[in-house]
Amino acid sequence: MTGTSLFHEQTARQRIAALVDPRSFTEMLPPPERLTSPYLAQLGIPVSFDDGLVIGKAKLGGKKIYIAAQVGQFVGGAVGEIHGAKLTGLFKAAARDKVPCVLIIESGGVRLHEGSAGEIAIAETMRAIFECRAKKVPTIAVIATDIGAYGGIGILSTCCDFRVMTEHGRLGISGPIVIEKWMGKKAYNSSNRALVWKTSGGKTKYLLGDADALVHDGADAIRDAIAKLLGKSNPVSLPAVKARQKELEKRLKRFGGTADPDAVWKAMGVRDIDAASLASGPEFAAMAKRGK
Amino acid sequence: MEKFTKAFPSKPLKAKTAQSWALAGVVGSGNLEVLVERGSKPAGAMDCHVETSIPGYKASWLAALADFPHHYPAGGTKVTINDQGAPPVLVTLRLRQAYDHLTKGEK
Repeated sequence: MTGTSLFHEQTARQRIAALVDPRSFTEMLPPPERLTSPYLAQLGIPVSFDDGLVIGKAKLGGKKIYIAAQVGQFVGGAVGEIHGAKLTGLFKAAARDKVPCVLIIESGGVRLHEGSAGEIAIAETMRAIFECRAKKVPTIAVIATDIGAYGGIGILSTCCDFRVMTEHGRLGISGPIVIEKWMGKKAYNSSNRALVWKTSGGKTKYLLGDADALVHDGADAIRDAIAKLLGKSNPVSLPAVKARQKELEKRLKRFGGTADPDAVWKAMGVRDIDAASLASGPEFAAMAKRGK
Repeated sequence: MEKFTKAFPSKPLKAKTAQSWALAGVVGSGNLEVLVERGSKPAGAMDCHVETSIPGYKASWLAALADFPHHYPAGGTKVTINDQGAPPVLVTLRLRQAYDHLTKGEK
């Protein structure tokens, strides 16, 4: 893989290969194992050999990691029973072996064709993530594509210690079209891409503190961001959870009534909205730090 | 869904390949994934297993698949395909990609 490729245009396996040390990746439950979804087969929908998730172990900067990448093009990267079981197992292994776990997200959440199995799998994975955090094993979510992290996977990503995003990445619970369906086009126009990215995109999430790093759309930049976070962890404690709750209450009070995402940017210290909109991810992060 | 299996005669694959299996493509709309594995028997045939969401095109599938082992020594490989409505040219392209990765590696 060449270093110039855009991360969001790569396939799941290419992304892993581009992030980790050369030839260090060993895939677990690879396609020849043919662990496919029994539900999709019953419904007459084509299955995939890996059920939309590539998992395995690798090295990053010489350090052992567990890594998973979702395949967004296969039913929107959605989590079914097999996909979810692979995810749960990987985080459980990370907790058991005390090896950091990196998840490259590209998913709209639970796969509706196997909804209950998917929901349970996400809950079990969250439990495994908290097990990692209790043991101070770093868990890092990478959100770098426009499919982003939504639904159960959006929630799951915020359970991880850290989130690395690019400006292409989006993070939320209900997707834009769902919000529009419920609230009306006037309240939220899902075809307004600027609005969608200004409410759920990487830049806004970084500004609000939901993303811990905002980097270029390339494997090198993402690898560097992960490497910096690998030694750290963000353990869950009662004071930390209470502080987070306070922060969110404050955010709701400040911005709950705002219809204009620019107002949120301004209130968070962005002075030149046009320049900030055009800035690349790291430029934006630098501007936000300097209070421009 | 339509499922079928057919083996096509072919010269045997080289004794040494870069990988024991290779995957190309993804199961998305108008796309397919092709898994090529070595070590299937007999050594003089490419063993194909197709599962497609669009029934009724078996003749086109067999024509597209039969062409491949004429041009490449693919005997002793097992080709498994999950398809979601890919056009025949894409079938040929993915087969070649997977075969290329199998024999030469993913670089």
